[in-house]
Amino acid sequence: MADDGTTRDTWDLLPAYALDAVDDLERRAVERLLEADPDARRALDEYREVVAAFAVDQEPPAQVRDAVLARVARTPQAPVPAPAAMPAARPRRRRRWAPVVAAAAAVVAVAVPTTVAVQQHRAAVELQQQADRVAQMLADPEARLVTAPIAGGGEATALVSDGDVLISAEGLPDPGEGQDWQLWTIADGAPESAGIMPAGSGGVTTAWVPGGAGRTVAVTLEPAGGSEQPTSDPVVAIET
Amino acid sequence: MLRQTDQVPPPTTTPVDAALVACADGDPTTFGPVYDALAPVAFGTSLGVLRDPDHAAEVTQEVMVEVWQTAARFDPARASARTWVATLARRRAVDRVRAEQSRRDRDQRDLDASVAGAPRDVVVEDVERRLEGAAVRRCLESLTPTQREAVVEAYYGGRTYREVAERLGAALPTVKSRIRDGLGRLRDCLGVARG
Repeated sequence: MADDGTTRDTWDLLPAYALDAVDDLERRAVERLLEADPDARRALDEYREVVAAFAVDQEPPAQVRDAVLARVARTPQAPVPAPAAMPAARPRRRRRWAPVVAAAAAVVAVAVPTTVAVQQHRAAVELQQQADRVAQMLADPEARLVTAPIAGGGEATALVSDGDVLISAEGLPDPGEGQDWQLWTIADGAPESAGIMPAGSGGVTTAWVPGGAGRTVAVTLEPAGGSEQPTSDPVVAIET
Repeated sequence: MLRQTDQVPPPTTTPVDAALVACADGDPTTFGPVYDALAPVAFGTSLGVLRDPDHAAEVTQEVMVEVWQTAARFDPARASARTWVATLARRRAVDRVRAEQSRRDRDQRDLDASVAGAPRDVVVEDVERRLEGAAVRRCLESLTPTQREAVVEAYYGGRTYREVAERLGAALPTVKSRIRDGLGRLRDCLGVARG
């Protein structure tokens, strides 16, 4: 397991994170570390204090004060955050992933579907049930987040919650005329079709794989409509 | 106020910290003094990154409303009010500079390449002037020139360390360690220690 190395790499990013000098993916990795590790949070607090020492106070224009106080007078405050993000209270086994709220937030940031794309031929009722289940998964504090690169560029992210998987692929190219991206779940080397990947929007494709947890979720290029068994090498495979 | 924190007691709680904690109770009339104490940090931080007073004023307005809205999230055990506001302001200012940067970079890539040396000198000169009065100024001298360059580029340029590496023509891991070691030295010099 490359877990230790990955954690150390992420620790190394803390100073750059304090300077807002990391890209979005790194930012998410650091935020997962912070969620899991109080020592990392303490180290970050120190770096942030260093960065704040660069600030030189300067009086803003007077009209800013009026504008802010006017908005404050009619803007309600956000409630106190629930202490759900206290990692010490969670079982140790969970701490390896420990994505909690960050996982849900990250998937929302990765996927950004206004409506989660699920297979389009399904009945409306079923769609609603799926949407409810997906919303539940996104809110699950015990959900795990796993990512894997897509061959040829891009990244796939799997949110694993209570037996189900929500997979989101960023940068998956158009399958081309007469072809589809097909999803598979693989256990003990035996692939089982999980349907066609729905058409994505904004370069992001999201699909729900019920019962996919604990299996490898893979995507292959297949003739339109899909195949019984994969006929090409997977462009991405995620062990959930 | 009942809030779960680590067992470490708050290092030093200033009156500003206390005022910020108090205004989380939802009374907008308590926010005036908090604004007066903290808006200059927000404006100074935004101006450092954006260098445009109008943009910095807009960011300051957004940040100070955010300070009000999320006052309950401020935890004096983790940071001073000043550091908290500087962090929020920097994040917003950098987001804005990035959005503009990507557009500018696309339009002017060739031009930038041909005058690559010039803007950097301007930045360094500008920084010297800006840092008058910053707590960190004395400590920056304890950095090696390359550490200082990397940290200053990341701080004032609002750049990712990848962009800093590209700009300085240095390897990625090198720039990452310069930033890490640079901030580490600054931390020691400033005597920052928590927990």
